[in-house]
Amino acid sequence: MAQFELLARCHTTRARVSKLTLAHGVTMLPTFMPVATQAAIKGLTPQQVDALGVTLILNNTYHLGLRPGIKVLSEAGGAHKFQGWNKNLLTDSGGFQLVSLSKFTTITEEGALFESPFTGEPTMLTPEESISIQHAIGGDIIMQLDDVVASLTPDRKRVEEAMERSVRWLDRCIAHHTLSGRQDTQNLFAIVQGGLDFELRDRCLTQMVERKNSVAGFAIGGLSGGEEKDIFWQIVRQCTEKLPEDRPRYCMGIGFAEDLLVSVALGVDMADCVFPTRTARFGVALTHQGPLNLRLAKYAKDFQPIDATCPCPTCTEGTSRAMLHHVITRETAAAHGKLSVTLHNIAFQARIMGGARDAILNGTFPDYLRTFFANYFDAYPEWCVNALRSVGVDLVGEGSNVKVVPGSGAKWE
Amino acid sequence: MSTVTFSVGAGARFGPRTGSVTLQRHASPTTLTIPTPGLMVATSRGVVPHLSRDQHKRTHPLRWVHVPFETFLENSPPTPTLQPGALPLHTFLGFSPDSHLVSLTLRDPADPRDVPANGNAYVTAMTARGVKKVTPDQWRTYVRACAPDVVVALPDVPYTPPPFSQKRTTKSIDRTAAWLANLLAPASEPLSILVHMAGGISVAARRAFAESLTETLHGKEADAVRPHTCLDHGVAGYIFDLVPLRRAMDASPDAVHAPAARADETAELFKASLTPVAPAKLRVVNSAASPHEILRLVRTVGVDVFDAKWAQDAAHVGVALDFVFPIQNSRTAGKQRDLGHNLYRAQYAHDLSRFADSNPGCPCGACAPVAPAAAISHSVLDAYAPPAAALLPPYTRAYLHHLLHTHEMTAHALLVMHNLAVVDAFFAGVRGVLHRGEDFGAEVDRFVGEYDEALAVVDEARAMWKDVDVARGKGRMARERIEADAPE
Repeated sequence: MAQFELLARCHTTRARVSKLTLAHGVTMLPTFMPVATQAAIKGLTPQQVDALGVTLILNNTYHLGLRPGIKVLSEAGGAHKFQGWNKNLLTDSGGFQLVSLSKFTTITEEGALFESPFTGEPTMLTPEESISIQHAIGGDIIMQLDDVVASLTPDRKRVEEAMERSVRWLDRCIAHHTLSGRQDTQNLFAIVQGGLDFELRDRCLTQMVERKNSVAGFAIGGLSGGEEKDIFWQIVRQCTEKLPEDRPRYCMGIGFAEDLLVSVALGVDMADCVFPTRTARFGVALTHQGPLNLRLAKYAKDFQPIDATCPCPTCTEGTSRAMLHHVITRETAAAHGKLSVTLHNIAFQARIMGGARDAILNGTFPDYLRTFFANYFDAYPEWCVNALRSVGVDLVGEGSNVKVVPGSGAKWE
Repeated sequence: MSTVTFSVGAGARFGPRTGSVTLQRHASPTTLTIPTPGLMVATSRGVVPHLSRDQHKRTHPLRWVHVPFETFLENSPPTPTLQPGALPLHTFLGFSPDSHLVSLTLRDPADPRDVPANGNAYVTAMTARGVKKVTPDQWRTYVRACAPDVVVALPDVPYTPPPFSQKRTTKSIDRTAAWLANLLAPASEPLSILVHMAGGISVAARRAFAESLTETLHGKEADAVRPHTCLDHGVAGYIFDLVPLRRAMDASPDAVHAPAARADETAELFKASLTPVAPAKLRVVNSAASPHEILRLVRTVGVDVFDAKWAQDAAHVGVALDFVFPIQNSRTAGKQRDLGHNLYRAQYAHDLSRFADSNPGCPCGACAPVAPAAAISHSVLDAYAPPAAALLPPYTRAYLHHLLHTHEMTAHALLVMHNLAVVDAFFAGVRGVLHRGEDFGAEVDRFVGEYDEALAVVDEARAMWKDVDVARGKGRMARERIEADAPE
């Protein structure tokens, strides 16, 4: 099983630094995982991703199961070899996409019944089948199949049913994974469900933590579905509080810089999101001063790089905002602009997480948070202030004249 | 700033020849040498489509980059002219002074669209924000501000619907010569200029234009281009755009279409242009459609540099090139071989072999990927562990098939690197045959017999590329909504 070693803890918050050793090398946590849905980070080669200092990426089981299909992946010797990626890889269970992408999905106790997008045939994805597919893909971290409901589902009965079923499905995943004898190379993570309901979350946590010895880590699922941010952080906090110290914690589907840093402060070790790569394709570059929308005319004659201090290839080669503005939206050359900003944004995510690792190690993480927020926001999102206050970091402090805004407070340009 | 020189072996005015283009930057000890016959890489909006800047140094065929300027006219003044530094165009576009020769031309030579007529004192260019007029004075200003290594003088090539009257052709000749003279105005830094060989599809007009270049100038005309005594003295070489030529040929009442006959006609026109001028200067051709066309122009005329647009376009629609010159093993029987693989085809779904059978040693970033020697370190804890062997296994046809069908941009990045490497190896093969003194003409005939010149494989791929693009590309959601709303 994976080796998980805690290296340091923040003296104030719940943040921690750890070393996760998997079959394809070491990944230092906390970390952000870029998403390679279809076995490629949009537009980049694995060598480019490797050079960015990324050691763990995500593939989507649902997509790879459809294309190229398990047979091709098996023939190629697994997804690592198929896509030429020799660092760590995480695959999701496919459950989330079944609900979000597929029409006519019916969840039964046996599994998720859906219409195959290829043949139109009714197809059943069971917990065992999900694990088998993930075995064929060969990810270093594999996820249990969970019963996913939208985080804003009003029907508590349905949320409760989904949570209880996710626990039962975890048992089936554990059993199937154990039988396979692949625990040495592939590590199963449980996914905590229970919606936005503290009581349901607590029951789920209790049951899943009981199975701790059969899982390598825990994910916090069922969030990032448009819920109030003030609820989001409280659920994350509740989960990290109860999850065991000696297992990595993965908060699924978050990617905004403030979400990442608040989650890290609450004790999260891993996160993934398509946001940095997707927003790059729309011409938005992430910086410590907030996102830059390179499509805006004000960048047409701006010869600075996106960020002069950034170590990514786009910035170190001196690519100017003006040049990116020139190519980003025009069809024939758009790929060049998209790739340049994608490289930058992946490096940006890695950089804020790497900075967090150093700060936690040096005992300066609260300062790191304060500096980040001061640079990034003109007005602080209230939920971030509340969340960080709950772990002992006061962003605004006595006599501060920083503006605090309710709502998500996410920054756009 | 820099000197571009071309040297070619002594020999007949026409016929296959080898040489080299040398770029010496005065500020740098490194010399960039581009052997000829060789390739130049086409750009769109100033970039090599599908390649990010960090891929440039891994893309060895990227030595000469040809940049159409017209898209920069969307801003006034054009953005690259405002770029600070010694080599503004290199800096702005991210090409390395040590590794890349950058040439600048006003119009995209591959754009076949109709454009409003040029005037006596301007050329009409196309931008994403409509049509813009560029005068010879403006062009000289832009060129001076951008400092390209090589510049194409403004030609008067009509992109109005052909055929063209004799009067129009005469105008074209006169303007092209006058605008070249404008660019040759005395300056402290001489430019390396390519002149577009005007005259359309008329042998007589082409000859007349070329002769006008060699006329000794007197009085004011001579002062205007000093120290040159004639226009031809001031140019580094000659450039031919095949796209407008094909437009005019197609519109001609006695148009021929068979590739070989077309090639003969083209060669006659080129020879008419080149007969009066200096034989040892560079000859550049844009928009050759196939290696067959390239080989014929090398054989009959002695062209030195060709753009690789056709191969880059093949990468854009999912074709991995797979051919070699001179051919090693002829097919035994049956139909001609394709120049590459349409990787959309179902037959590649399980094909775990490298892209090209004919180039097993292909050094490109797809066939011979190299693990990075170092990675960005984001914290003191990060330690990059390079793999045991830096050379990684080749990307497979099955992976590319998957990427193409899932509309992943990575496919095209890998294919561009590969196709450029195949074309680069092709030119190395051409030079090899010439250096070894083998029968070049016979090798060309074998090649032409072996491979499909119509590039049917690219047409097939383009159709499949389009299907996937419609199904999964930009605007998909909107299209699906319209479909869903449509009455049954």
